[in-house]
Amino acid sequence: MVRLSELHPEEAEHMLGRAALLKRSSFDFDATPWIMPKPLRESTIALISTAALHRRDDPAFRFGDTGYRLIPNDIDPAELVQSHISVNFDRTHYQRDLNVVLPIDRMRELAEAGEIGGVSPIHFSILGATESFLFERTGEEIARRLHDLGVDTAMLVPV
Amino acid sequence: MISHYLQRNGIPTTTISLIREHTEITRQPRALWVPFPLGRPLGVADDPDFQRDVLRSALRLLDTATKPVIEDYPHDAPDGGGDGVWSCSIMLPEPEVSDLEAAIRGEVDLLTPWYEEARRRRGRTTVGISGVKPEEIDKVVSFIVAIAEGSGFQQIPVSAEGPNWRHPLPMLVRFAVEDLRAFYQEAVTSQEGTKPPSQHDMHSWIFNRTTLGRAIMAIGHQIADNEDRRLMTMRGLMIPEGFWEGEVSWGELPPGMDRLSFIKSSRAYLAGEEAEAR
Repeated sequence: MVRLSELHPEEAEHMLGRAALLKRSSFDFDATPWIMPKPLRESTIALISTAALHRRDDPAFRFGDTGYRLIPNDIDPAELVQSHISVNFDRTHYQRDLNVVLPIDRMRELAEAGEIGGVSPIHFSILGATESFLFERTGEEIARRLHDLGVDTAMLVPV
Repeated sequence: MISHYLQRNGIPTTTISLIREHTEITRQPRALWVPFPLGRPLGVADDPDFQRDVLRSALRLLDTATKPVIEDYPHDAPDGGGDGVWSCSIMLPEPEVSDLEAAIRGEVDLLTPWYEEARRRRGRTTVGISGVKPEEIDKVVSFIVAIAEGSGFQQIPVSAEGPNWRHPLPMLVRFAVEDLRAFYQEAVTSQEGTKPPSQHDMHSWIFNRTTLGRAIMAIGHQIADNEDRRLMTMRGLMIPEGFWEGEVSWGELPPGMDRLSFIKSSRAYLAGEEAEAR
C-alpha cells in the first residue's frame, strides 16, 4: 500500500525530495563493509525504531532531534508515548497494539521458540523525521552500547 | 542510514523498509520491503501470527543474504479493506463552531466511556505526548480552544495552565492536537473484533465529522493569519495533505525554497530555541 503512487501527490513529492537528497549526498554507501552475522539461532537482537517512542518521563524528542532514547525490553507498554512530528502516517494500529511498531512481544516469542538466540535487554528509539545523515554520532553510540550489552545484531523498524 | 552507521561500527543489521525508493538508494545490507501504510511496519494491529511472519521474514535475511538485498514481502496487510469501508459507530452531534469549547467538551463526554473501555482492555493509552496525564484531557481541550480562538503561539493560555507540558511552544500546539486526536481515535476504535479504519478514513472522520477537526482547522487559519511564516511548517505537521481546503497544507513555499529547506529553516523557532522574529 505504500507505493508512492498511493500517497497524496504532495507527500509522494516530499518522499521523492528526500530520495533526491539521499542521491545527491556524498556519502559512499558502497563503502560500508559487509558483515556476516552469527546464525539467527545464536544471535541476541535489539530493535531500533524510528518512531520517536519514549517513556513518559523521558525528555520528549525535539523537532530535529538527533539523539536516542532507551526502551527496556520488559517495559510496560503503558509507559510509552510517541512524539513523532509527522501527521502523514497511520497511528490507529499503534494506538491499539504497540507490536505493530515495536514488536517486543513477537521478539520474545521467537526467542522462546529458539528461532533467535535472545532479545537485547534494551532497545533504541530515534526520531526518523530528522535528516538521516545527522545520525552518525548516534549510530556510533548505539553500536557501542550494543557491543557492551552483548548484542550481536540490530533489527531496524521504520515508521 | 542508521544501518550504515551501525554496520561501520561492527553491528550487522536487517531492516523493514516502507519506502522502497529510499532503501534502493541507501543500499542497506538486508531489507524486507513491506507493502503496508506508513506507520505500520508490522502490518496490522492485534494479529500476532501476521506480525510474527513479517518479523521472521526480515530476520531470516540475516541467515540467507550474502550480499545487499531488498526482498519484497508478498502479502498485503489483512486490515479493514481500504478507504471508505469504515464508519464510526459512536454518533456525535453535527460539528458546531459557534461555541467550540462547549461542542468539544460535549464530544469528549460522549467518547469518554469508550476511551476508558479501550484503555482498560488494552492496558494502555497513547495520550500524554504533550505531557498531560490522561485524566487532564480537559486541559488539552482548553489549550486547543484557546489557540483556535486566537490566544497566539507564544505562551500557554491561562485556561490551560496546570499540566506539566513537555514541549516548548509553538510545537506544543502540534502535540496537544495529537493528544486529543489520540483520545478520540482510541475511543472510536475501542470495539473488540472490529478492524480499525484506514488512515484516510480516520482523517476524514476527524476533519469532517468532529468539532475537534473544526478547531484544528481554526488553528490552521490562525497560522495563516500570523506574520511568522515559519508556523506554516507546523500546519503541515498537523493537517494531513488533502485536508486543507483544497490547497497544500504546508502553504506556498517562500521563493527559492523547497519543502525540506523550509522545514529546516523553521525548526529551531518551532522547537522554542529561538526568539520570535517579529
